[in-house]
Amino acid sequence: MSVRNALLGLLSQRPRHGYELLQAFETMAGGREVWEVKPAQVYTTLARLKENGLIVEVPSGDENGNERQMYALTPAGRDELKSWFEQPVRSERQRDEFFIKLMLAVATGYVDPREVIYAQRSSLYQELHDLTERRMTLDPRRDLAHILLLDQAIMHIEADLRWMDMIEARLDEVARQPLPEPEMRPRGRPPGKRAG
Amino acid sequence: MESMVVTENLTKVYGKGETAVTALKGINLSIGQGEFVAVMGPSGCGKSTLLYLIGGLDRPTEGKVYLDGQELSTLTDNQVTEIRRRKMGFVFQFYNLIPVLSALENAALPMILDGVPVARAHERARLWLERVGLSDRLDHRPAELSGGQQQRVAIARALAHEPLIILADEPTGNLDSRAGDEIATLLRQISSEWGRTILMVTHDPRIAAYADRIVFLKDGKIVDQTHLNGNAQEGRINEADS
Repeated sequence: MSVRNALLGLLSQRPRHGYELLQAFETMAGGREVWEVKPAQVYTTLARLKENGLIVEVPSGDENGNERQMYALTPAGRDELKSWFEQPVRSERQRDEFFIKLMLAVATGYVDPREVIYAQRSSLYQELHDLTERRMTLDPRRDLAHILLLDQAIMHIEADLRWMDMIEARLDEVARQPLPEPEMRPRGRPPGKRAG
Repeated sequence: MESMVVTENLTKVYGKGETAVTALKGINLSIGQGEFVAVMGPSGCGKSTLLYLIGGLDRPTEGKVYLDGQELSTLTDNQVTEIRRRKMGFVFQFYNLIPVLSALENAALPMILDGVPVARAHERARLWLERVGLSDRLDHRPAELSGGQQQRVAIARALAHEPLIILADEPTGNLDSRAGDEIATLLRQISSEWGRTILMVTHDPRIAAYADRIVFLKDGKIVDQTHLNGNAQEGRINEADS
């Protein structure tokens, strides 16, 4: 889900090649150590996005005159991206999907990152409110295990909410930063030296 | 829902000229009868200023505050003081109890100072001390009570004269997590079961989540609001996995 939408987000900036998308994704997410994607995953996802009419292939030649396939966002792809940005992420998945959504918003300016934070914050508060209400109905002598688990869930969401505040404060500090573009790494073996 | 509190273009500037600091910029807020509203925001966002202006503890530079339809800024200081004493209840981070008085005497004191007969004041105070769960602590002095229990006495004192609104400034700020949750549960109950209107300033997300609505302030302005749905099943995000 995250990689799929991240590819749409990166294509909202401009048409890109498959390998370039992979590198841009890893750079945006904080490097390969943080989030590594396999080329196969990128290409399978691109194929599926194309099937669904969210992206199209556009031909492009590189400097050596070789044909390389570039991908571009369709209007349907833009709509899909926009509605994804507007939806909060369920808390159990937020560390990956919300993070990618936020970083994409920061990097592409496709939506205001604050809107992404506020939507997520509202959703987390609703969840916190629900858990709190459920906990109030329980009897500590009869439902101790249930209460302890609710305490844990509540405190996790509390931590997520504090993270939201921290993100907003940090965004205020940096205002808007450009997407760190990856340095293009040469593909395959380094040219020249060949074993044997 | 009838509005208990309405603010119009509420603005507060401290100081003058180049050193002037704008604490609140044109706040338009309406709090319904029986509603429990939490105000959140980073330090210095103006949340305490908002509470003080609504509570008549400070006067706005611009804009108006209405309490139950009555505009506060047209009143004299003495009239505002009277409204504060009769129509508002305050709960602060520190309980401000008188050490030599019992829980019952503390909760009854503001009414006695306002001229309510002692027997009547004690009756009202006893009712609210029982409601906040202190029926077996009426004769205890503050030093003999835990922090959470002292805050309960302060809440009973704030409610005993039947105010139109409770204004709470960081009511759990001096308590540990467990006691803080108990106080927040009590405030929730005061709103849900006894229909009282509450405006609470807090920086604690877990405490804010007990409210019906959260208002987010930043740099003196309302930047976002969240209505918390009472039904645990509604308001959930259903997003299909791919």
